[in-house]
Amino acid sequence: MNFSRMFHNLNYVVSVLLFLIGLYAVTVKPNLIKKLIGLNIMETSVFLFIVSIGMVESGQAPIVTEGVKTSQMVNPIPQALILTGIVVAVSTTAVALSLCLRLHERYGTLNSDEILASITDVSQLGRPWEEF
Amino acid sequence: MKRLLVLVALAVIGVTLLYGIGKMPPMDSRASPDKTHVVPRYLGHGEEEAGAKNIITGVILNYRGYDTMGEVSVIFSALCAVIAILDREKKGRSRSGVDASRVRTSLIVTTVVRFSLPVVMLFAVYTMLHGEPSPGGGFQGGAIVGASIILFTIVFGLAVSTKRIPPGARVPMESVNMLGFLSMGFIGLAFGVQFLTYILPGLGVAAAETVRKLMLDVIELGIGIGGGIIFISIVFSMIREDRYELQQDVP
Repeated sequence: MNFSRMFHNLNYVVSVLLFLIGLYAVTVKPNLIKKLIGLNIMETSVFLFIVSIGMVESGQAPIVTEGVKTSQMVNPIPQALILTGIVVAVSTTAVALSLCLRLHERYGTLNSDEILASITDVSQLGRPWEEF
Repeated sequence: MKRLLVLVALAVIGVTLLYGIGKMPPMDSRASPDKTHVVPRYLGHGEEEAGAKNIITGVILNYRGYDTMGEVSVIFSALCAVIAILDREKKGRSRSGVDASRVRTSLIVTTVVRFSLPVVMLFAVYTMLHGEPSPGGGFQGGAIVGASIILFTIVFGLAVSTKRIPPGARVPMESVNMLGFLSMGFIGLAFGVQFLTYILPGLGVAAAETVRKLMLDVIELGIGIGGGIIFISIVFSMIREDRYELQQDVP
């Protein structure tokens, strides 16, 4: 491994650490809201990684202005992709949160272990879609 | 035990990722492969090809217009899913915790929100309309609009908010971003060129340029307003409390 280059690419290392923190929260924490927070941390780490790829040494925003050469501008494609990614992350979070609301309404808890334990028989679940 | 297993798995994943990162080119070099293929063309010809000084706006609306249309449909279907799961508020019966609570909201909080909200709104409109020659754009402006209205709703309660933004005006606006994008796309088809082509044939050069600016602005505004309204609608159907049995008396 090339450690001096890795220190130069510190953003990548930090994004790996953030990814691992998010994955830990998703896998270990029993609380569904904490799992969601972990998922959001993972998404943020990917955003940081991809935006960092487009960085340029002493770069300028990719906006055509007087006195800024195109060779000075940063890569616009990662930024455009991440704009899309952020909106998709918000959408998935919204759907997941509304599912959490429903779960809390039905089971009175957001602890995934307790929810699983309270479902001893799948046929107990009945037909929840007929409640609506 | 489970935690130990997870930590081992995380260590394996982390070492693999770090190994891959150690082989990547230096982060800020101009010679790394992501900046050598299509990027010089985007940066050099983006203004005349995509019609926007902000290259990112050009990439989003023109070079990768289909991508953005898919994204707009993703956020629209997220709203559909939330409403399918949680149901919309009933007419005249939308209350949030603030409305149901006996404790009045702090005067300091309400005053600060009252004073800062118009400024935030102004900034949102600026971001939306000025996103072409400066940083900003439809999504960002829409997010700021949505955030300001959500702040207002959290502080003043859902009843006041629905009075200010009646559902009759809000619900039809939810599809504005999708409809704006699709209609601008079909204008290209009507003129006999490809879907989402902004330079229409049969017009003069100057007129085509003006029409392109106009179409880009319409899409930008549609994305902004529609996105903001969708955020507002999602939060409105999440924070209303009329689904639960209210313990307190409603003032």
